[in-house]
Amino acid sequence: MLTLLCPLPAPLCLLSLLLPPLHPAAPVTPSEPISQAYSLALYMQKNTSTLLQTYLHYQGSPFSDPGFSAPELQLSSLPPAAVSFKAWHAMDDAERLSRAQGAFVALTQHLQLVGDDQSDLNPGSPILLAQLGAARLRAQGLLGNMAAVMTALGLSIPPEEDTLGLVSFGASAFERKCRGYIVTREYGHWTDRAVRDLALLKAKYPS
Amino acid sequence: MGVYSWWRQPSLMVDNKRPRMAPNLPQLLSALTLLHLTVQVNSLKRGALQDLKCTTSNIQEWECTWTTPQGVSRGTVKEVCIKDRPQPCQKLETTKFKIKALLPGDHEVTIHYQNGFQSKFTLNEKDVSLIPDTPEILALSPDFRTSMLLLKWSDKGSAFPYPSNATWEIKVLRSRSMETVKLVSFNTVLSGKDTVHHWNWTSELPLECAPHSVGIRWRIDNHHFSGYKEWSNWSPLKNVSRPRGSEPEVFPQDIVVLAGSNITFCCLSRTKVLSGQIGNTLRPLIPLDGEDVVIHVLNIPFSEDSGSNVVFTTHYDVYGAVIFAGYPPDIPRKLNCETRDLKEIRCSWNPGRPTRLVGPRNTEYTLFESISGKSLVFKRFETLPNESYWLAFQMLPDQEIYNFTLTSRNRLGQAASALLINVTERVAPHVPVSLKVKDNSSTVVTLSWHLPGNFAKITLLCQVRIYKANSEEEVRNTTIKGVEDSVYFVNVDKLTPYTTYAFHVRCSTEPFWKWSKWSNEKQHLTTEAIPSKGPNIWREWSSNGKKLYIYWKPLSINEANGEILSYKISCSSNEETQSLSEIPVSQHKAEIQLDKSDYVISVVAKNSAGSSPPSKIASMEIPNDNITVEQVVGMGKKIFLTWHHDPNMTCDYVIKWCNSSQPEPCLMDWIKVPSNSTETAIESDQFQPGVRYNFYLYGCTNQGYQLLRSVTGYIEELAPLVAPNFTVEDTSADSILVKWDDIPVEKLQGFLKGYLLYFHKGDRDTPKSRGFESGHSDIKLKNITDTSQRTLRIADLTEQTSYHLVMQAYTNGGLSPERSMIVVTKENSVGLIIAILIPVAVAVIVGVVTSILCYRKREWIKETFYPDIPNPENCKALQFQKSVCEGSSALKTLEMNPCTPNNVEVLESRSMVPKIEDTEIISPIAERPGEIPEADPENHVVVSYCPPVIEEEIAKPAADEAGGASQVVYLDVQSMYQPQAKPEEEQDSDPVVVAGYKPQMHLPINPAAEDTAAEDEADKTAGYRPQANVNTWHLVSPDSPRSTDSNSEIVSFGSPCSINSRQFLIPPKDEDSPKSNGGGWSFTNFFQNKPND
Repeated sequence: MLTLLCPLPAPLCLLSLLLPPLHPAAPVTPSEPISQAYSLALYMQKNTSTLLQTYLHYQGSPFSDPGFSAPELQLSSLPPAAVSFKAWHAMDDAERLSRAQGAFVALTQHLQLVGDDQSDLNPGSPILLAQLGAARLRAQGLLGNMAAVMTALGLSIPPEEDTLGLVSFGASAFERKCRGYIVTREYGHWTDRAVRDLALLKAKYPS
Repeated sequence: MGVYSWWRQPSLMVDNKRPRMAPNLPQLLSALTLLHLTVQVNSLKRGALQDLKCTTSNIQEWECTWTTPQGVSRGTVKEVCIKDRPQPCQKLETTKFKIKALLPGDHEVTIHYQNGFQSKFTLNEKDVSLIPDTPEILALSPDFRTSMLLLKWSDKGSAFPYPSNATWEIKVLRSRSMETVKLVSFNTVLSGKDTVHHWNWTSELPLECAPHSVGIRWRIDNHHFSGYKEWSNWSPLKNVSRPRGSEPEVFPQDIVVLAGSNITFCCLSRTKVLSGQIGNTLRPLIPLDGEDVVIHVLNIPFSEDSGSNVVFTTHYDVYGAVIFAGYPPDIPRKLNCETRDLKEIRCSWNPGRPTRLVGPRNTEYTLFESISGKSLVFKRFETLPNESYWLAFQMLPDQEIYNFTLTSRNRLGQAASALLINVTERVAPHVPVSLKVKDNSSTVVTLSWHLPGNFAKITLLCQVRIYKANSEEEVRNTTIKGVEDSVYFVNVDKLTPYTTYAFHVRCSTEPFWKWSKWSNEKQHLTTEAIPSKGPNIWREWSSNGKKLYIYWKPLSINEANGEILSYKISCSSNEETQSLSEIPVSQHKAEIQLDKSDYVISVVAKNSAGSSPPSKIASMEIPNDNITVEQVVGMGKKIFLTWHHDPNMTCDYVIKWCNSSQPEPCLMDWIKVPSNSTETAIESDQFQPGVRYNFYLYGCTNQGYQLLRSVTGYIEELAPLVAPNFTVEDTSADSILVKWDDIPVEKLQGFLKGYLLYFHKGDRDTPKSRGFESGHSDIKLKNITDTSQRTLRIADLTEQTSYHLVMQAYTNGGLSPERSMIVVTKENSVGLIIAILIPVAVAVIVGVVTSILCYRKREWIKETFYPDIPNPENCKALQFQKSVCEGSSALKTLEMNPCTPNNVEVLESRSMVPKIEDTEIISPIAERPGEIPEADPENHVVVSYCPPVIEEEIAKPAADEAGGASQVVYLDVQSMYQPQAKPEEEQDSDPVVVAGYKPQMHLPINPAAEDTAAEDEADKTAGYRPQANVNTWHLVSPDSPRSTDSNSEIVSFGSPCSINSRQFLIPPKDEDSPKSNGGGWSFTNFFQNKPND
């Protein structure tokens, strides 16, 4: 993970500092990785809205129209972040972390896909491509942090799955635009949810 | 044909019969009756009349059928026989038979039945219908991307005689309602073999939007076949449809269209579609099958990078498509192919108009070289700046000619531009690198540089740019034979030793195409060479003649050719040569003790390369007694000297100069002038205005230098700095002797031209405007132009008077400051004594004489000056004064009573005066009868009078004649003497002058002719007459006509009398009367400034 982050631009190097070194043998207290993961999630939260707005801006009308929203659009390959409070509250830490971890695995893969899609649709928009790339790397960074938290809590880390499968190829440009919209939207929602998850954990394991 | 008529047109026969019946009835009736009977018999034999119908699908074989007559069963057909055929009859079992095509013309066809009946027909090709076989569609393939249907079928032309024309008709049906959306026909030619035909059609509606069906039919036209040509049946419909998914779908997807075109989108949905829009523009929904809808987008604008979005919304979801609207690629502009190193050819171009399509839709460029057949592809997803469009084509060995074609291509079209080049003529070399400089000598260096490239077969043309400080840059061309990737050497000569140069190099090839960029600069200092000449030297003898000072000037950079390290001086006479020690470079002067004067001094400058040629100078100075000092003033900061050519002067002339105030030997600088010159201009930064310099012109002979001229001068003259210091040497009663000193030369600042001495009485300062042109008469000026004069006596002065003396010196540069002094002249004592004594003596003598005379003549004096005064009480004349006054007007004695003027108001009869002037009468105006001829008696004239001396005068007739004279009424007088005055007034209807008192100025002015008469009368009437001749008191107005008449008279104004009268003057203002103007002068005329007429 560290080696992946090293050649990144400056904001992302910050992430590399936040990432805990993975030394399975060393005893780790849960509060420290939770705190780090929470900090990163908070940092990500500040940029999710910008990412969504930048993304929509480059997709043309009606995506770029003010107030555009299409909550009915969903991707089967990406679990929705929306959950009822009751259901969320009933989850235990392991389940919350597991769902968030699974969602961010899917998000990193989808953000990669969206980045590729936009390279075709908006090759002359480096700002958008950079933001998509940055979001993907932050999601990977949060994944690493959550893995550390799960390790510290003694939970097993689920293996990464290929969430995209074969569905992504042959999509029309409109589908790709919609797909990107859903991914960037859900990235924000999942980040919000991760902040809440980690805040709860942080309260449970004060440093 | 009878059968034909029967078969085809039975009614015609009947019709034809009728008209024939009328004209030739007996014969025709009999013939027809016969024919009818025959036919009737035949008909009876074979039953009812039947028709024979023949068709053909390929012209070569006919198929005929006929309807069996009544009463004849189908199985009873025996045979058919056609005449004129080798085998005229063929057996039949049905009412259908096939025959080979018959020749044109009628053919008799007889059908025999087994029961013996027979039917006869006449068969002709014209009656045969050509109906081709139903065509069959080989394939119908849709291209959904372009919404194009491609139809493929065979014409089966081998079955027909050729050439035959085939006409095809194709129909396209759409959607479930089978609406015909396209029906098209076109012709082909059958060529005797089976040919597969293609037809394609592009649908406005995307093919995915609805099922499409295609049918085809045809007919054949062969000019050898004269029968009917009829359409074949429609082929079975071929359908194109796309299986529908469960989700709504939008078509077309991701298509690239030309901006400005019209596009139709459809949304295939099982639920109701609520809206359709492109971007944020809603478009009307047009229903298709079921819930399917379409929208039309007209004149679509070019899209942004990610394309334009078409969105349909249903109750539950949104569906859409993206369309990319742009332009086909422009022709590549400015295609240019050149090489830098003859290894690869770099072709660059300008993409021209943007296509607005990016990503995979961006333009792809293919560079194809036709001679070698190689090609390169350029494709980028993003839009690039113009200079980024280039491709590098690797050169092929032994190929110089290249024929490039650059094709730009995107989904909307393509364009190309071509270029044919000889690559050896298109060389723009790389920048030369590794520029090095190596010294060959002090004036020649070798430049070397590296130029990558395979230039083995061509010639390089290179330029060396040489830059020297304070000099224009120089560019030298050089031609070098090219080699492969090598270092090139070039010698650069004609350089200056010990000089820093900056070199740049650039290269091109022959023939010239382009220069490379200039290489980086390389600086180099050339090596030293010996100084090119000896220093410029001069010598001066010390004042005692024992020492000789040698001066030299440092060599210029160009002459030194290096860094001068030292100077070496040697002096040589005929016997010996003496070398002095080396003199360091900072020193430019040396002194030599010489016992005798005939030496030759030589000076050489040395640098690291060697010694300069020696500069020699003879120590001896040839005397010249004939020297006068001249004066010169410079012009424009230069001193011009001229001299006559002297053939004795063989070497050169030297002009040295120094500041005149410095002691000898003095040398500021010198210049050398060639011996053939006769003039020079001396210029030096050391020259300052107002400083005197001495210039010496020396001529050079073989023996030594000789002073030819001595000149003193200024580069510019200024005014003296100080005033002359003057003193008064001597003062007398009428003169002052002034003495002054010289002004020092350094304070003069110019050649002295003289002194100015001003003097004037008094001790005040002189006026500022004093000068030569001063108009002040009290300032006297002495201009002393003799500059050698040191004293001046100022004579003719007043004794014991203060004089202010001011003195200034002046040059051509102006006046010095002034120095002033106040001097008082001395008193003249003798004159003073004489001046006092003589008047005193005279006065005493006169006094004595007068006293004596007065004493002696005292009686006479008393009588003369103090006579006895008589007592007035003894005067008898006063006793009968009253009676005399009453009795006779002729006898009057003037009583000298004090006269106190009182005002007398004069009332006049007419008031024509617009303005009343209250005028103090010291003039006779009020009494001028002619002036106010019709004076209003109500008007007032106030006249001063003396009440005690009022006298009444009886108006004279002469006074009457002064018509219009004012009626002067002295109110006070009237109040006193009214009883006497009144009857006289009533007697005279004419204006009457009642003149009790006659002022001295009762002057009859107008008319002029009556002047004399009036005067006479006045003389008679006036009791008192002033001493002056009142005739002379006419007042002459300048606008009075009379004034011209009497202009010879001297008119005075005023009275010698102490009487002061006042009256209102009523000027004549009767315009009806021309005489009023003749009244002459009036104040109103004057004040109102009226013209006389």
